[in-house]
Parts: sequence; structure tokens; C-alpha cells
Amino acid sequence: MTRRYTRYGLCALAILFVAIYLFPLYWMYVTAMKSGTEIFANPPTFWPRDLHWQVGEIWTRLQMDTYLKNSLIIAAGVTVIVCLCGTGCAYVLARVRNRWMDVVLFLVLMMQVLPSSLMITPIFVAFNQVGLMEYPRLSVVLAQAAKVLPLYIVLVRATFLQVPGELEEAALVDGNSRVGAFLTIIAPLARNGILVTGVLIFLQSFGEYVYARSLISQRPLQPATVGLQSFMGPNTSDWSGVMTYSAIYVTPILIIFVLLQRQIVSGLTSGALK
Amino acid sequence: MKRLALGCSALVTLATAATAQSVELDLWTIDDPGEYHYVLAEEYMQANPDVKINVRTVQFRDMVNDLARGMATGESPDITYIDNPEVALFASRGLLLDLTPYIEASDIVNKEDIFPGPLSSVTYEGGIYGLPRGANTIALYYNADKFREAGLDPDNPPQTWAELYETAKALTTDDTYGLAFSAVATEEGTFQFLPWLQMTGGDFDNLQTEGAVEALALWKSFIDDGLASPDTLIRSQWDSTGTFNAGAAAMSISGPWELPRMSKEAGFDFRAAMLPIPTADAERASALGEGDNVILANTDNPDEAFAFVEFLYANMDRVWNEFGYLPAANVEVSDPDYPEIYAVFEESMKYARNRGPHPEWPKISQAIQGAIQSSLTGQAAPADALDRAQSQIDKVLD
Amino acid sequence: MLRFRNTFTDGVGFDTVLVMLALGYLVVFSAYPLVYNIIMSFQEVDLFSLASFDRPFVGLDNYRDVLGRPEAWTIFLNTVKFVGISVAAQLTIGFGLAMFFQLDFPGNSWLRGLFLAGWIMPALVVGAVWSWILAGDFGVLNHALLSLGLTSERIFWLSDPDMALYSVIIANIWLGVPFNMILLSVGLAGIPEDIYEAAEMDGATRVQRFFTITLPMMRAQLGAVISLGTIFTLQQFDLFAALTQGGPSNASNVFQYWSWQLSFQYYEIGVGSVISVLMILFVILVAAIYVRSTRAEHVA
Repeated sequence: MTRRYTRYGLCALAILFVAIYLFPLYWMYVTAMKSGTEIFANPPTFWPRDLHWQVGEIWTRLQMDTYLKNSLIIAAGVTVIVCLCGTGCAYVLARVRNRWMDVVLFLVLMMQVLPSSLMITPIFVAFNQVGLMEYPRLSVVLAQAAKVLPLYIVLVRATFLQVPGELEEAALVDGNSRVGAFLTIIAPLARNGILVTGVLIFLQSFGEYVYARSLISQRPLQPATVGLQSFMGPNTSDWSGVMTYSAIYVTPILIIFVLLQRQIVSGLTSGALK
Repeated sequence: MKRLALGCSALVTLATAATAQSVELDLWTIDDPGEYHYVLAEEYMQANPDVKINVRTVQFRDMVNDLARGMATGESPDITYIDNPEVALFASRGLLLDLTPYIEASDIVNKEDIFPGPLSSVTYEGGIYGLPRGANTIALYYNADKFREAGLDPDNPPQTWAELYETAKALTTDDTYGLAFSAVATEEGTFQFLPWLQMTGGDFDNLQTEGAVEALALWKSFIDDGLASPDTLIRSQWDSTGTFNAGAAAMSISGPWELPRMSKEAGFDFRAAMLPIPTADAERASALGEGDNVILANTDNPDEAFAFVEFLYANMDRVWNEFGYLPAANVEVSDPDYPEIYAVFEESMKYARNRGPHPEWPKISQAIQGAIQSSLTGQAAPADALDRAQSQIDKVLD
Repeated sequence: MLRFRNTFTDGVGFDTVLVMLALGYLVVFSAYPLVYNIIMSFQEVDLFSLASFDRPFVGLDNYRDVLGRPEAWTIFLNTVKFVGISVAAQLTIGFGLAMFFQLDFPGNSWLRGLFLAGWIMPALVVGAVWSWILAGDFGVLNHALLSLGLTSERIFWLSDPDMALYSVIIANIWLGVPFNMILLSVGLAGIPEDIYEAAEMDGATRVQRFFTITLPMMRAQLGAVISLGTIFTLQQFDLFAALTQGGPSNASNVFQYWSWQLSFQYYEIGVGSVISVLMILFVILVAAIYVRSTRAEHVA
């Protein structure tokens, strides 16, 4: 009986944590419904005085469907490249220990030191010289994949470390090749970490802005982040419009992720490892 | 290489669209669709079907970098917008087309019509490297309702710095600041401060004056005495004026670009007055903002490009009512919106001075911002802060 | 002979191919910009000579110039504070929340998912929202503190030189918590339940179990999260642009933002690149520490 109360008490506490944490998100939604001047009102209003709902207008006026489609293409492209190139490397870095692997791990981490805003100039010049700029979305995918690949490798490597080495040895004894053991035994066992990390990479790339702004000049190819920036110049900023835009952009991903993460984070590993 | 690429794109145009022999001009702008460059380019294409203008929006703060990168890689436009103080940077490298011969041959552009401030912003070592698309300047907006509440006469706005201080003090209440302005560490801070300096006889190359110290001390007293928000240090002019529109400040120093939003959101009687001067008989000065239409030196179609720039210039009389800034040349504006406020800005324009010109203006501006910020935060006395800025600027000027 | 072929398809060869795939990609797309930055730090670079390497070399002049500036030391200390405090707080809060949501109560995994909101909001919007929350006059945080009686005067989070850096740190901690929490959750979920049960039967207390089981088992995850957190924090740029622009008077400026300001606002690109190089050196240090720490993973 007390155990049940504890559980509901914990749940209430969890809701409190989430409420505090999500306040900025709430503020985004509320601001989306405020008029421009009410945003600067003192004291701040926690619920808009008169609702100012403009989702449909923003969606059509800014042609958000094209922007969001491009964001999806870019984020999906980055995720595919990163998973293909990174998973194997992460696995090897988790299994093999020698001086060379130390060097590789070191190099991988080092490669992502500078913010995109400082990397973009050399990338722009180089891509321009080799003609990659003819394929602007591909350029962004390639550049962004390089940016997040180290992140992916380091995180997935940590997941592989949790897969017991004995399982692989057993598979090898059973007559599997290394390739076979990796694909059929090891990778499935680490799918939890791979999935979560893949989702993180996807979300990061969905929000990529610096590369897309510089490498994609045609409006129909630009992602949603560039579209967002393009209607908030220094003197035209319509904050409630910006927040509406951003609410349209955030809400579907948030819902999908909340539904998805239930499956990926909870339960899966413990079941798999027993 | 560039020519080859152009040839290819021309071929593609031929193959896809049926419009043969058209000239394509690339135009970069800080405008969004529906604003100045987009509207006028559309009109121009209607009138000249053989010209196609590709307009591309570049963020204001990225414009110089994107242009420089574009020039380095051969991807630059034919025509672009450049902010006033940046013209010298590009002109000093020979990257802009000198328009002098075109202007001499033009029936529409007459150099004498352009106001001295805007003209100086496009002039570099004797050449004219662009045509102003308009101009703006700053003035003192005030909330006449709050004046009445505080027992002040709204028909008698403050004229001098001392009056401004007293008025701001009288208007300050528990939930309202007397004054909003911007001392942010960007070009906007320099833009707002320079007129105060110039009114006392100083300028960017002469900061160590008594007047400069006095101006900074006045700014500091606005914040220290609670007449303006400490957040003035990090707020842009647009955000500062947002607090004025919301009734959280009774006066605000800003420009005509505020009017469309103000008329929508400020639910009170707002008016404008000229920027107060140090003493009743002091020299006036005001800031000069907005930018210019320039043609890049490496364009393949200079004549067509100039024809378009000339067309833009010819529409100067429309900029106030349609695009929210002031004419930069002597043109007749019939039936201006907000006539009283227009009259104030039009008068202020006469005293608007260009920033610089100097090819390394951003460094000069940075030194001035440093002086403003370090004295307003109390890290340095105004005189010391100005001494330091002067020595940084002297290094640039040498 | 057979053994040799086996090594190649099943042994070292297989490993090498997998590693080279990723490393090769990184060398092609990431190493070049880094080298480019390093070269520029020794050159006199101009806004218009960005595209070619044909620029005058000036030796260590840029280094002398930038390190001699009075603000350099302040900004360096700010960077250290920013990274140190952000990473420590993100990790503590993230770990705490991960363990909390590991407890068994209704809706635990569902509520945990909501924390990802911070990760998916566009940087631009995060900056704007925080700038309103932290605003001195109409900000929600001040409003809350005043109504609760926790402070008697408004705090000017963003424009008070003593507070500005901490304001950015607060927003940055907020941003980094979901990353830490979700990854540590995955790690926690990977620790087999029976180890805890065995320890409980041996009479180990909760605290003992945390230090003898949880921490050692999480070693790899913690190492990854800390080193990546450090690097992310060092890359945080948008918050500075949106909240304080490094001000007032450099009170909240850090290396990554300063480097950008020097290169792209004041067009002193050579000098800006020097700061990039200093950041690279710092990350080399972090990476070396991380790699060393991974040596212990297998012992545990």
C-alpha cells in the first residue's frame, strides 16, 4: 500500500521536474499567441491577453512544407552517412586496445573542436573549388555528417563496451566469422544505444543552421532553420510569428520522439542481456 | 571560368525558358520578400521584360562576409545593398564600380540633389561608388500621454541635454523608465552615440574632448539614476523601442523604421522631437543610417546594372510611405504618412553625418563601443575609457 | 597462409577497414578546415584573401598581438569558468535525473522523453526565449524571484557584468541536461539488475551500491559524456550571440565567440584564427585525458 503511494509521489515529483524544465518550451508556445508588444509587457503575462493564433497563416505564407521537407532530407542523409561510417569504427574502438586505437580515438575527438561558424569559411572555399556547391543539400549533409560523426562514434563506442565480450567469443566458436558475429550478434545487442544516438544525431542535424545558410542559396532547397532566420531580420522581427513558426517545427518532432523513446530507452537492453 | 559558367547558365535559360536574349542580374539584399528590393525588382522586370533580376536575401550581419567570400570564389552578385560605413571598405579594394561617368551621363541622377551625408557615404577618394537607396536618422520619440500624467507639456519636448535628464527623471515611475535608448556593443551602439559626440565638436577621430566625457557621463547617469534600464547595454534599438511601445519607457531614441510597428502596437499618443543638444546654442548632429545600392566592379553587364540602380534611385519619393525610411536626396514627398513625425525626421536629416568613411570602420566602431560599455558598467571612468579608445583608433588611422 | 587470410578477413584487416572508413571521412571533411585555420593564424589575412593560401606569413605576430590585448586574460578565465561550471552542473543534474527516472513509477519513461524538448528547439528560439526569461525588467525569472520574495531587487542578469556570464551558463546547462540524462539513462539501463540484487543480499547500502557498482559500470559512458560535454560547451556559440554578445564590455565573452567576433565582425582574421588554434590545443588536452581514461575501462 505505501509502495503505491511512493510511486505516485515519485510521479508527482517527476512532473514537477518536467514542468520546471519545460518552462522555456511553454514560454515559446505562449509567446506564439501573444501580440508583439505584450512580449515586452511588465509584469509578464503567463497567458496571452487576447489569443493571437496564426499557425495557418505562417504555414502558408512561409511555405513551411518545403522548408520542413528539406530539413528532413538533410537530417535523414546525415543520419544514414553517420550510422554507416561510424558504427563499425565505434565497435572496433570498443574491442581492440592498442596504441593505434588510442591514436584513432584521439583524432576522432579532435576533429570536432571548432564551432561551425569558424569551420564554414574553409569548407565553403573547398566545396566551391571541387564543384560540390552544385549540389547544395548534399554539401550540407556531407559537412554536417563530419561534424557529428565523432559524437556518434564516442557514444556508440560506449554502448558496445557494455556488450559482453564472451558473447562474441561464443559466436566465433560457433563458427561465425567476425563480420557475421558483428552483424548478427553484436550490433543487434547494441541497437539500443545505436538508436538513441542515431535519434540525437537526427535531431541535431534537423536543427543545423550555419552550414545550410552559407551553402544553400536557393530558397526551395533551404531547411526550416534558414527559413526561420530569414523572417527575423534585425528590424522586422515579429516574435510571435517566430515562435509560431518554431512551435510548428518543434511540436511534431517532440510528439514523435516522446512516443518513440518509450520503446528505445526502456526495457530493451535489460531483456536482451539476460 | 566565370564567363564559361555564365555561358552555360545562359544556355540553360535558353533551353528551359522561352525568353531569349535576356540579361540576368543578380541582386543581393537585406530585404525580405515584400520589401524594397523585391517590390522594385518586380516592377522593373514588368517594365523591362528582357531583364531578369534574381534577388537573394542575405542577413544584415552576414552581408560583408558573404560578399567577400563571394568575391573570393567568383560567386558575387552584380548589384548589392551595402550598409553606409562599409562602402569605403569595398571601394578601397577596387571591388566596386565607380559610377561617376554613369552619373554624369544620366538624366535622372543629379549629384547635387543627394544630401551631403548620404553622398559622403558613397564617396571614396573622389569616386562615387553607389547610390543611396534612402536614409534614416534618429530622433526622440515620446509618449505624450505620459507627459500629461507627469504634468509636463507634450507640446514642449526637451530641447537640451539638461532638459532631457529632468524630463526623464519626471517621467520615471515604479514601472516606467523615463528613457529607452541603445548602448549595445554593436554598430548600433556607435550609431546612437556618435551624434552626442559630434554635437560637442568631437568625432570618431577626436574622442578626447570635454564634450565626449560629458556625453558619456550623461548616458551613465541615465542608467545609474534608474532613468533607463541597465539592459540598455545589451538591447538593440528595436528591442529598446519595444519597451517604449509597451508603455515600459516614456521616451525612446530611435529611427523611422519603428513607425509601422509603433502605429500598430503603441496604444497612446506618440510623437517625435529632434535629438536634444548640449546647450540651447550648440551645434546639431544626428546619425546617418541606411545603405546604398552598389554595382560590383566585375559585373558583366554594367550598363544594365546601372539602368536598374538608376530606376531604384528614381523611386526615392516612395521610400517613406512604402518602405519606412527617408529620402536621401532632395525629392518631393507628397502626402507623407505621420506628417508631424516626418517633418521632425526630415529636419534631422539635414544634420545627419556619415560614420567615417574609413576602410577599417569596424575597428574604429569597436573602440567606441568599448568606451561606451566600459564606462557605463563602471569599469572605467569616462575620460579613461575615451583615452583608451582614442589610442586604439589612432592605431587604425595611422 | 590460411592464417594470413583469416587475419585479413576476420582479424586486423576487418578492424582496419572499419576504422579507416570513419577516419578517412573525417580527414577529408574536417581536417582540412582545421589545418586551414592553423595556417591562417601565422599569416596576415584579409577579408578578400580568404580563398588562397598565397598570403604573407607573419610568424608569431598574430599570437603576440592577441595575447597582448588586455581583454585576453579575462576572456580566457571566462572560457574556463564557462566550460567548467557548465559541464559539472550538466553532468550532476543529468546523472541525478537519469537515476531518478530509473525508479519505478507510472509514466517514468514517458516523462523522461519530454526532456528532449531542449535538444530539438532551434538554437535561435532557445536564445530568444532565454533572453526574455532573463530580461531585467520584464523577465519571468525576476518576476518569479520577486513574487516569491527570494530577492528584493531586480537582477539584471544579462547586463550586469558580474552576472552576465552566469546567465549564459544557466541557459547552457539547460541545453546540456537532456543530452547527459538520456545517454546516462542508456548506460544505467545496461547494468544488469542481478548485480544490484546480489550486492543487496550482501548487505550493501544504497550509497555503497552507487559507488561500487553504478559508477564503475558507467565509466565508459561518463568518460564519453564528460569529454563530449566539454567539447560541446566549447562550441556553444548561439547562446552568446542571442543573450549577451559577449558583453557588457567582454564580461561574458569566451574564446569561441571572441574568435568569431575578431574574424567576422572586425575582419582581423589572422588574429581570430589564433584563438581557434588555442581552442584546438585545449581540445587536444581534453582528448588526451579522455583517451587515457579509456585505458581503465577494461580493467573495471
